[in-house]
Amino acid sequence: MANLTNLYDVSKCTACRGCQIACKDWNQLPASIEPFKGNYQTHEDTDGDTFTIIKFFETEDPVTGVNWSFIKHQCMHCFEPACMMACPKGAYTKTETGATVHDPDKCIGCQYCTYACPFEIPKYRKREDKISKCTLCVDRTVEGLTPACARTCPTGALTFGDRDELLQKAEDRAKYLRENGYPNATIYGKLELGGLNKLYVLTDTPDKFGLPVDPHIPKNISAWQNVVQPYFGWLIPLMLGASAVSFVTTRLLANKHGGHGEHEEGGHE
Amino acid sequence: MQWLTEYKPDVERVERFNFVARLTHWGHTVTFLLCLFTGLVLFLDGVDWLAAIFGGYGGAGLVHRIAAVLLTIFLAVFVVFDFKGIINWIKDILRFGMNDIKFVMKFPLEFFGFPVKVPPQTRFNGGEKGNSIVTPTMVILLVISGYIMWFPAIFPAGLVRVAYPTHDIAMILATCMVCMHAYLGSFHPGSGESFWGMWKGTVRSEWAKHHHAIWYDETYGDKTDAE
Repeated sequence: MANLTNLYDVSKCTACRGCQIACKDWNQLPASIEPFKGNYQTHEDTDGDTFTIIKFFETEDPVTGVNWSFIKHQCMHCFEPACMMACPKGAYTKTETGATVHDPDKCIGCQYCTYACPFEIPKYRKREDKISKCTLCVDRTVEGLTPACARTCPTGALTFGDRDELLQKAEDRAKYLRENGYPNATIYGKLELGGLNKLYVLTDTPDKFGLPVDPHIPKNISAWQNVVQPYFGWLIPLMLGASAVSFVTTRLLANKHGGHGEHEEGGHE
Repeated sequence: MQWLTEYKPDVERVERFNFVARLTHWGHTVTFLLCLFTGLVLFLDGVDWLAAIFGGYGGAGLVHRIAAVLLTIFLAVFVVFDFKGIINWIKDILRFGMNDIKFVMKFPLEFFGFPVKVPPQTRFNGGEKGNSIVTPTMVILLVISGYIMWFPAIFPAGLVRVAYPTHDIAMILATCMVCMHAYLGSFHPGSGESFWGMWKGTVRSEWAKHHHAIWYDETYGDKTDAE
């Protein structure tokens, strides 16, 4: 089955945050209220009960003046997810349509995934001692519905559909923006981390929107999961085996040499 | 078949480990093994039966944390009540010399039961010096990385990412040392007496003369010289 993707077009977003509300509504997430921090952003970051937020960036440029940009932030549903790699309980799976789904029944709340994720998306939900994150509304999309956020978007900034088609649409849109006053317009999510199942059309370079320009799975995490975890552990049975062999041979040889009693030589540990 | 070396109370014995050293040693034995088996639940794949012993993954996590705190307390007890013992221990490790190198070279033969002659050893022989460096270093790394993993929110994300592989590597190296150490300190016929050194605190002087000649001479050898 084809990858079903959300395409988010920054240039069409008005930061109404209808997607935030729709997400809370569909996923039955309680409100998490944070104190006012002096800007329009509702939450500092996503949390256990907030799968998506609109981030606000205010920048001042001496030439163009004050610049205000928004971006929707949520799980990127990577094709090669670091969370899935790090999870010791196999709680993460990729669906046929490309969503990265977390199974709370398998989760033990260790939070390895939170720190493995280049976007630090999986968040710890304290009241359940489990991780939670955006599901790309798999419970809706399997029934042929559109994800809650995309369905509610009034400006068409969020669309949902086949990834190849949307990728073409995104390329065309970025090209149009580049020719019409946004020379740095680009797309995000085509190749990053082996491809993201979330596509972005950006009016400027990714770093202006708080997105990592060249995201990668942290090297500590990949070395840990690909080298240490599968191979280093064999040292332990090796040592146990050596001790077991010694247990037998010392006793066999002691009989041969006439006992290992009062006048033994050598050392011990 | 004989397992442990027989304890002989009626021969001349000398003190090898004081009470605090023995308390922290056995405290760490219990807490380390608890941490090890509850931790392996996550390190190994598909060991639900191991988790079940501790009441599932949640229970294993709880036991792991309780044992870890107790392990840290035993570390603190050792530092507070026998600081001098730690200093002497480190001093002895720093006396690593030719006799230790020769010991380590010949030890593999001794390990499997071949009779070998090794040079006189200080309080801790070459192998014990190695164990004394590796195991405590790894346990300290385990403690530090463990608390970082327990409370990741208050540490920088980069540090948390380093803590994960560190915890695993330190666990593996410490467990390897513990596998050898546990066997050599108990069922290995040539060194079984050292078990009583850690259990009762004393070893046969005869054994000490054979195995740790330099230590024995310096500590108990010529009593008139020492006084």
